[in-house]
This record gives sequence, C-alpha cells and structure tokens, in this order.
Amino acid sequence: MTLRPALRDALIAAVALVVLLLIPAFHRSPAFEDYVIRVSAMALFATSLNLLVGGAGMVSFGHGMFYGLGAYAFALLMQMTDLSLPVAALAAIVITAVGALLVGAVCIRLGTIYFAFVTLAMQMLFYSIIISWQSLTGGDQGLRGGIPRRELFGFELGSQLHLYQLCAVVMVLGLLAMRHISASPFGATLRMIRDNETRAGFLGVVLWRARLTAFVLAGAFAGLGGVLAALFVSGAYPELADWPNSGQAIFAVMLGGIDTFLGPLVGTMILLALNDVVTRVTEYHGLVLGLVILAFALGLRRGLLDFLRLRRKRTAP
Amino acid sequence: MSLEVRNLTKAFGGVKAIDDVSLVFPTGSLTAIIGPNGAGKSTFFNLITGAFPVDHGQVIFEGRDVTHLSRAARVREGIGRAFQVASCFPTMTVLENLMAAVTSHIGRWGNLSHRAPLPGVRERAMEVAEMVGLERVADVEASILSHGDQKLLDIALALALEPRVLLLDEPTAGMGPEERWRMIERVRALWERQKLTLVFIEHDMDIVFSVAASIRVLCYGRVLAEGTPDEIRSNQAVIDAYLGTEEHAA
Amino acid sequence: MDLDALGTCLTTPACVVTQATSGLIVGMLLFLVAAGLTLIFGVLKIVNFAHGTFYMLGGYVAFSTLALTDSYALAVVAAALAMALFGVLFERLLIARVYGSNVLMQLLICYAVVLIFDDVVKIVWGPDFHAMGMPPAFQVAPLFIAGGVVPPFYAVLIGIAAVIAIVLGAGLALTRLGKTVRAAAHNPAMVSALGVNTTMLFAIVFAVGGALAGLAGALAAPVRSLSPGMGFSILIESFIVTVIGGMGSIAGALVAALVIGLLRGFGTIGFPMFTDGLTYVAMILILVTRPHGLFGREVA
Repeated sequence: MTLRPALRDALIAAVALVVLLLIPAFHRSPAFEDYVIRVSAMALFATSLNLLVGGAGMVSFGHGMFYGLGAYAFALLMQMTDLSLPVAALAAIVITAVGALLVGAVCIRLGTIYFAFVTLAMQMLFYSIIISWQSLTGGDQGLRGGIPRRELFGFELGSQLHLYQLCAVVMVLGLLAMRHISASPFGATLRMIRDNETRAGFLGVVLWRARLTAFVLAGAFAGLGGVLAALFVSGAYPELADWPNSGQAIFAVMLGGIDTFLGPLVGTMILLALNDVVTRVTEYHGLVLGLVILAFALGLRRGLLDFLRLRRKRTAP
Repeated sequence: MSLEVRNLTKAFGGVKAIDDVSLVFPTGSLTAIIGPNGAGKSTFFNLITGAFPVDHGQVIFEGRDVTHLSRAARVREGIGRAFQVASCFPTMTVLENLMAAVTSHIGRWGNLSHRAPLPGVRERAMEVAEMVGLERVADVEASILSHGDQKLLDIALALALEPRVLLLDEPTAGMGPEERWRMIERVRALWERQKLTLVFIEHDMDIVFSVAASIRVLCYGRVLAEGTPDEIRSNQAVIDAYLGTEEHAA
Repeated sequence: MDLDALGTCLTTPACVVTQATSGLIVGMLLFLVAAGLTLIFGVLKIVNFAHGTFYMLGGYVAFSTLALTDSYALAVVAAALAMALFGVLFERLLIARVYGSNVLMQLLICYAVVLIFDDVVKIVWGPDFHAMGMPPAFQVAPLFIAGGVVPPFYAVLIGIAAVIAIVLGAGLALTRLGKTVRAAAHNPAMVSALGVNTTMLFAIVFAVGGALAGLAGALAAPVRSLSPGMGFSILIESFIVTVIGGMGSIAGALVAALVIGLLRGFGTIGFPMFTDGLTYVAMILILVTRPHGLFGREVA
C-alpha cells in the first residue's frame, strides 16, 4: 500500500527518461536538444522554487541567487581544480546548500512580504558581489574560458548529444528526488505550515527548523539546476543570478500551477517555448509575453495544471 | 496534581490581562472556566500552552515547572489545546490533517526518507477520527467541513497528540443550541473514556452548570471564585459581577 | 574600496556639499516613488510591482510634453496627471480583478504590465536612451555652497519633493480622506463596516501613487537619461526604501529614502564598485535588527 504511489512515480520517471533518451536515436534535432537542455536546468530551478512557494507558502523572490551560486561554484571548481565532473557538481551543490543555510538563517523568521523582499535583497547583494569581485568572477563579463572538458564515463560534454543525455538523466532524477520530498512526512509538515503555521507549532513542529530545512533543500536543488546551466553556457554569467531570472522561475511556477507537482515543469516548457517562438517572430517579445501572462492571470486565475485538475474535480462526481 | 499555575501574571501594554492567578486542576477533573468578555480566559490558555511568555509566576505540569518551555515542548509534555476559532489545515482532508498530527506526535514530522504516511500512522489517525465521530468525513477537505465538524477536527488534532491535559477554548462557539449540547456531550464522553484532565472555556451557563464538576470564574484577569456548580451559583460576588449582567443581557 | 578617498571627501566641505546634494536628489526621487508604493501597500495590502513603470512613463510623458510645449512646468503637471489616470485605469481594469486571490497572481499581473510597457515605450519612443536636457529656465549659473557646486535645478527638485512630503504628511494627518486612508491601513474590515466607499478609496490611492511616481519621473528626466527598463532599478530601490522604512509608513519612507540617498551619494566615493551592494547590506542589517522596518507595524 505504501509502496504503490512511490512505484508509480518511479515508473513515470523511467518512461519519461527512456523516451527522452530514445528521441535522438530516431531524429536528431539540434534545436530540440538545445530546448530540452535549457528546460532541464530551468525546470529543476522552478520546481525547487515551488518546494518553497507551493509546498510551504514561502514566496522567495531571490531564489535565483542559488541557481547562480550553483553555476559559479561549479564553473570555478572545474576551472581551478582537477576534480572530476560529478565531484565538482556535488561540491557545488554542497556550497549552495551552505549558502542557503546562511541566507535562510536571516530570512526564515520574517513574515511573508518581508521574506519575499529580503530574499530579493539578498539576491541583489549576491549579484553585486559577483559584479564587483572581478578577479574571481570576471565581473559583468561573466566567467569566461569555458569549462574544461573532462570525460565522464565515456561522455564527452562538448558534444551536444552527450550533454543532452546527461541533462535528461539529471533532470528526471532531480525531479524524482523532489517528488519524494514533497510526498514524505516532511512534505506534509510543510503543507501544514503553509495552511496554518500556528496550529503546526502547537502540534509540535519546530517551525524554524522545518522552514530552514525546506530553504536549504530548495537552494540545493536550484544549485543543481545552476550546474546544468553552467554546463550549457560553458561558464557562468551574472544574469544567471540576476532578478529577472528569479522572475522567470516564479512565472514558470505560476504558469504551470503551484499545487501540482509537475506544474513548474510544464510552466518552464511553456515559457521557454514561448520565448523561442516569440523572439523569432517579433523583437517586442516582452509585449507578447506580457499579454499572454495577463490572459493566464485574468482568464485561468491559476496555473495550467491546477486549472485542469480543478476542472476535472468539478466535472468528475 | 495534573496542572497548576502559581501567581501567573501577564500584562499587555500596561494592562494586566492575567493578574496573580493561582489555580489547581486535579488529575482527571472536568473544569469549566467562565468569566465575562475580556476576563483573560483565552490569555490564560495562551500562557499555559506557551503561546506568550509569562511576566511572572509559574506553570506546573505534573509536578514539573514548564514555564520556560517552548510551546512545542509543552505539547510533547502532554498539554493539548483546541482553539476558539477552529484551527486546522484547510487544504488537507480530515485524514491527512490527523495523519500529519500523528506523525508530529511520534516525532517524525521532519522525516525525509519515507513516503507519507509512515507505517501505522493511517490506522492511528483513523482511530482518532472515530474518537470524535469524524470517520464519516475522513476524505473530505477540511475547508468544506461544517462548522461543527471543523471544531471536532480541531479537538481531534489535539487528541492525536495523546495529551493528558486538554484545554478547549469555547468548544461550542458559533453553534446553534442543539448542536451545542451534542458537542458538549461528545466532549464529556471523550473526557470519561480517555481519562483526561479537561479544562474548557464556555459562555453558555446551562452547559457549564450541567456538565462541569468544578468551575473557576475569572474577572478582569483575577480569580473571582472557584468551586462546585452549586457553590458558584450561590456566590454573591459572581452573581454581582457576572451572572447578574449576563441574565439582564439575556 | 577606497576609504582614503572617502575620508578626504568627508573633510572637504565642497566635496561634502556636492555628494550630499547628489545623495539628496537620489533620496528625494526615491521618496516620491516609495511614498506611492507604501501608500498603496498600506491601504490595499498590494505590492505594486508595476510602480516603476509609472515612473518611467511619467518621464517619457514629460519628455514629449516639453518637446511640444517648451514648458517644463506643464511637462511636470502633464506627467503627474497622466500617471494618476494611468494608476486608476491599472487598478480598475487589472488589479481589481484579482483582489483576494493569491498574492502571486497580483505579482504576475504587475510583471506583465512591466513587460508590456517596456515594449510600448520602445515602440513609441524607440529603444535608445533619450536625454531631455536641462529645461531652459534652469540653464543658469550654478550655486556655490561652501565651495560645492549645486545646480539650481537640484535645489528646486529637492524643494518640490520636500513640499510634497509635507503636503502628504499633513493631508494624511488632517483631512478626512487622509484619516480614512490611515484607518484603512490599520484595520481594513472596520473601514468597509463604517460604510466608506472602498472602490473609490482604492482608485484614489492608486491615482495619488501614480501621480507621485509620474512626478518623480518628470523631475528625474532632466538629470537622468530616459530608457525603457529605467523603471526597474528605481522599483527595486524604492522597495528597499519601503521595507527599511516599514511598509505602509510615509514618514518611514522619507527617512529611509534620505538614508539610502546619502549612502549612495557618499558610497560612490568610498565603494565605487559596491554602491548597490551597500543599499542591500543596509536593508539586511535593518531587517535583522528591526524585522518590521524603522517605522513599521507588524504585517502578515
């Protein structure tokens, strides 16, 4: 009984992964592979944000800082040390988690609106550190020189196909891990806090510890997304840690739906596809994007998957 | 003695909400706390459960000083409470509410390695639901429960923690006359079966005098009287300060 | 970091005057934008993420009005009025539809408006920077105060903002409308229970907020260049100001805006690469020590 939902999730993940890995065997499309690579980084980022937003009701405006931190930490480790790729990636995630622990220690006790803006300010602070610490980060030019190509189990990440395969695997495993977190007793605790933190406290939940744990976990997964982003751009740029990137993630979460686990993934797919199509058609891509957002916000009033789920619930009985 | 407070004092901005209150609640007793609005009844509960720090005085639970424990620690000690306005988790079903509470109670709320629910949790949650008669709506989302059922769920959440003292802040608030009696009968039955020390705040005098074995009257943050229903009924100070005005109003 | 330069500047009256003036300019512009933000937040409990757009449009409206009429005074008035109207339309047509729904929905709508109008500005005025230049009336010899150069326009700008601060403060304290606004900020349920027309109240608040931001845009146009996206940096800074001052507090916004302005004014000397960072550090320090800001009450 307890195994069944877990097994179902694992099966869905396995099928998705097999399909993703098989596609290039039938049809090579650089544009599609490029799209999946970008989706993988962003989807991990957006889903980790939703662990906080949808999962615990903690609206962070500064989540991009951990995406950026993961990317910079990974790229710098690869450039400055001889660590193998998985070790560098793991170290980057640990560094991001420590960063999230420090930032979280300051922010998690604040009320909703202050939490949102203090996390934003933390991100802006991080961004200005990147810009001003030129000797380490390359300042506003970004971290150049590429990421040294180290082979990994016969993978050559300079090849788009291999990068595609790596990103697909990491994305699916990362999403599965986050799914497990949100379905665990701790995930239920976060929902209690979102619904009614006072009551959760009276039931014996130590609120600050639960919040801080969520913040660190979310930061670590955003860092994993950042590692993929660093691989994709072959370096790291301040834009990764800038606020519009956080805005995009929030938008992806909202677009797909906050109450459905795969909402942020779907939102990311829509957002990136929209970006691609619109930039090809017009230079006024903000105008079109803005109108689409308005249509969603005023028309559906919630994310796509949440909307569909609610409709099914209403028509079902 | 199950629960005892000594010289409890709490002021908000210079106004003493609770002023030098000393009370004893013997193990297994069923006590009502009454008093006019603003008498400090809810504040009294908040101090016992640790929602606010006290200014002076002590809260003693089963012989132990718990005055400086956090509210989570007091819950673990065995002091449970339900709220005046039903306080539960609206987007979760009744069973999910109770499963989360049971998980917290066994100290596993931070568990990341398993899927929820942990073994045995669902069964225990169902038992708690049956204690208050909520098994019929186990899969209904809390936000769409009736008012009475939400109050029951609130009590059930407290019961999931297996408290030895249960504080109920106006369990019948906002209910019609008939519903009130049904509710208080449930509470009474619960007290008998679970062998709890139960303290409840109540405004309906008929209910208080027929259900409670013992009554404490608070007025302007002080203890005005304590005793059996008969003693309280004939206490001149209580009649003057409280019952008199209540009857005029009614 | 260049602490020597900062030390030298702080001991030279001319440098102090120059930096303080440019700090005050920044602070006063921030105050005008932040005052509207904090007013809207106080009454409607909405964080208007599109407030920077009002500021940007105000600047462009002033730019075009000046080009058409040659009157800077008219340009300022036109910008304020246009943005008051824009604020009301924004509230009625968009924000009013999502009252009571998820905070993120409100945020999303504001984000959409920001994106749309950045592009609208590109379409109407072009994607390049525009410099309005100093209006003819102010093209006169600068003032010298203790050896520091102060352009007369700077003095006028600071003066106008100071007058607005006084009028706003007095209006909130003394007028019936002001009292309603403060009551609404304190206890929204009570105001609608007292029979105040909240629809009207919300529209007025957005009109005032819009007018202040438009005014700020028009006042900034001669000293800063105009570009699509200029709304964003002022938005972030004025958020910091409202958060430091305490959300919902006009007095807090004024104090915080001046602090941030002066911090930036002198920060450019001492920490040329880290001026922005200083602002964030200030905000973090204040929130850690006073979680509700300098003048704030507890909010959800």
